[in-house]
Amino acid sequence: MSLLDVGQMRLILALSTATLAGATPLALAAMGGILSERAGIVNIALEGFMVTGAFVGVFAGRSSGWEGLAAAAAVGALFGLLHGFLTQKMRVDHVVSGLGINLLAAGATRFLALRWFTTEGVTVIGVPPTVFIGLAVVLPFCVHFALYRTRFGLRLRAVGENPETARMAGIRPLPLRYAAVGLCGMLGGIAGAYLSLGESHTFSSNMSAGKGYIALAAVIFGKWKPAGAALAALLFGFCYALQSQLQISGKHLHWIGIEWSSPALLDMLPYLMTLLALVTVVGRATPPAALGKEI
Amino acid sequence: MKRPSLSGILHSRALFLFGCVLGGLGIAGVIMAACGYPVGAAYGALWTGATGIQTGPADGLSQIGFVIAGRQVHIHLFLFAQSLARATPLILTGLAVAVGLRAGLFNIGAQGQMVLGALGAAVAGQAHGLSPAIHVPLVLLTGAAVGACWGAIPALLKSRRGVHEVLSTILLNYVAVNLAAYLILHGLKDPERMAAETREIAASAWLGTAPFALQSNLTGGFLIAVVAAVGFAALLPWTAWGYRLRAVGLGPEAAEAAGIKVDRTRIFAMALSGALAGAAGAIEVMSVHHRYVEGVAATYGFDGIAVALLGGLSGIGVLVSALFFGALESGAAFMESQTNVPADLAVIVEGIVILFAGIRLVRRSRAREHIEEGRQATDVSA
Repeated sequence: MSLLDVGQMRLILALSTATLAGATPLALAAMGGILSERAGIVNIALEGFMVTGAFVGVFAGRSSGWEGLAAAAAVGALFGLLHGFLTQKMRVDHVVSGLGINLLAAGATRFLALRWFTTEGVTVIGVPPTVFIGLAVVLPFCVHFALYRTRFGLRLRAVGENPETARMAGIRPLPLRYAAVGLCGMLGGIAGAYLSLGESHTFSSNMSAGKGYIALAAVIFGKWKPAGAALAALLFGFCYALQSQLQISGKHLHWIGIEWSSPALLDMLPYLMTLLALVTVVGRATPPAALGKEI
Repeated sequence: MKRPSLSGILHSRALFLFGCVLGGLGIAGVIMAACGYPVGAAYGALWTGATGIQTGPADGLSQIGFVIAGRQVHIHLFLFAQSLARATPLILTGLAVAVGLRAGLFNIGAQGQMVLGALGAAVAGQAHGLSPAIHVPLVLLTGAAVGACWGAIPALLKSRRGVHEVLSTILLNYVAVNLAAYLILHGLKDPERMAAETREIAASAWLGTAPFALQSNLTGGFLIAVVAAVGFAALLPWTAWGYRLRAVGLGPEAAEAAGIKVDRTRIFAMALSGALAGAAGAIEVMSVHHRYVEGVAATYGFDGIAVALLGGLSGIGVLVSALFFGALESGAAFMESQTNVPADLAVIVEGIVILFAGIRLVRRSRAREHIEEGRQATDVSA
């Protein structure tokens, strides 16, 4: 009973592992994004958290990958708390703060990499990618449980929807928001560490390549729900996998005058699909009511 | 209650922003020192690269000498021109972001609009046998038109399907870059070149280089950008469309109630925004590269957000902050060539300046809080 021959089996296996690998950083960062946004803090800074995590992972992980991972998580959390401090205490607009942090992170990591890493870059042993993939598989369930089944999650959502009412019910919004955005930074840092420690074993300045923004797109695509965002991350991961497999196979799909297997077109696919999904299936996504508002 | 005078507000705001810049340079200096770089020499080179001002007597035609307080100083015109050249696309993308934000829309898509505007301009530049008087405006307008079409999409998606423009513009950036790459690979590529570039545009579509710094990238494009900024500053407060745009940005519900067509105004604002970003792309093609090259838009579209925010969304503010960013980036490039301190220092400074400039320490007045509470109450009942 062999429905598929060996070649097809191998292709499916390769596609599914590549899908998981591509989805992992997106899912990790997206879970952070959900926590932050459900607590009411817009998080464009995910991109900056990821670049930082990727850099710190290699910087601190030259002797041991695990140390690098821990440092990436810690520095990511610090950046998250900085975003929280700026938006909550200093009343900086959430998008402005996020963009500033992204600029700072991009500039600082490139600057420091040029200073502390040799021109050929530094290679590290890193951390087995399965660690990150396992975490990315388990985490959506944890976040779902935390959001919908714990007191912390209920309060976090209350703060994101209506901080005034939450305050009247005796919840202090600020510590919750700090906790959420700190966790978000930590997960963003871990997601970035996956790119450097888990995947490429080195740091390059363009490493995150907008994956933080895509993770945010996954959050919105998934309507700010862990399951939805995880599925969106998987979908994006599948697009990446399809693209690399098509490029490896060297097959050409030419139809109605368009070269469908062109890498440029395949690169475009996840973004175009998200747009189409937003326009058609997803419909009006309702963000948390107090998202980006002051408390 | 005593109303603060306008000049007082401007004065304190300008001082505050100046403080932000100093803060950014200060923190970046600490990072630099921690890395063991010579801070003094680096900032000296940054200053020279940014302004062109150097000590010592002038030698040659490209330098103008002065004597200040008994010391001989000269301005290196090439370096000065490069700063202005660097500011040119930043003025336009800064205005693009400012137009959107004035209408209440956060256009993060200036990058993609600029890329496609540049590609459109490069294609229109291929036409031969036109006089420069026709060809230059044609190429510029083509770039602007392509940018406008691309910019209008997020506004359409917002009004028709409620898609948030921050998300759609981010996504459209990636679509635009890859669309350009696809079109280059399949049809528009210069067959004689290895890199993914279009053919060179006809000489009739080139913008002439500034006569005082012929080796620089400074062209008439800078004047176009300045005119756009001044036009923005002059037209927005005094025209009907400027009024509608601002009304929609301040409060779409109120604007709607006052009979302003909100959706149409938003689409207009985003098209204008895209047109400005597209024009930035066209000018880069006509002044610097003379063809579409990968990375023609660098990060100008994203930097435009920083420029617009630092410039307080006003035409003149955008002009000033773009000149600052242009000088900073151009100066940093010179700094790297002189002292080996990476030019990415400029990005660090930009990031910190943006974070500082966004800080709003002034407590809202009690009256203002009442108004906002009232607004929230009506929101709930609606």
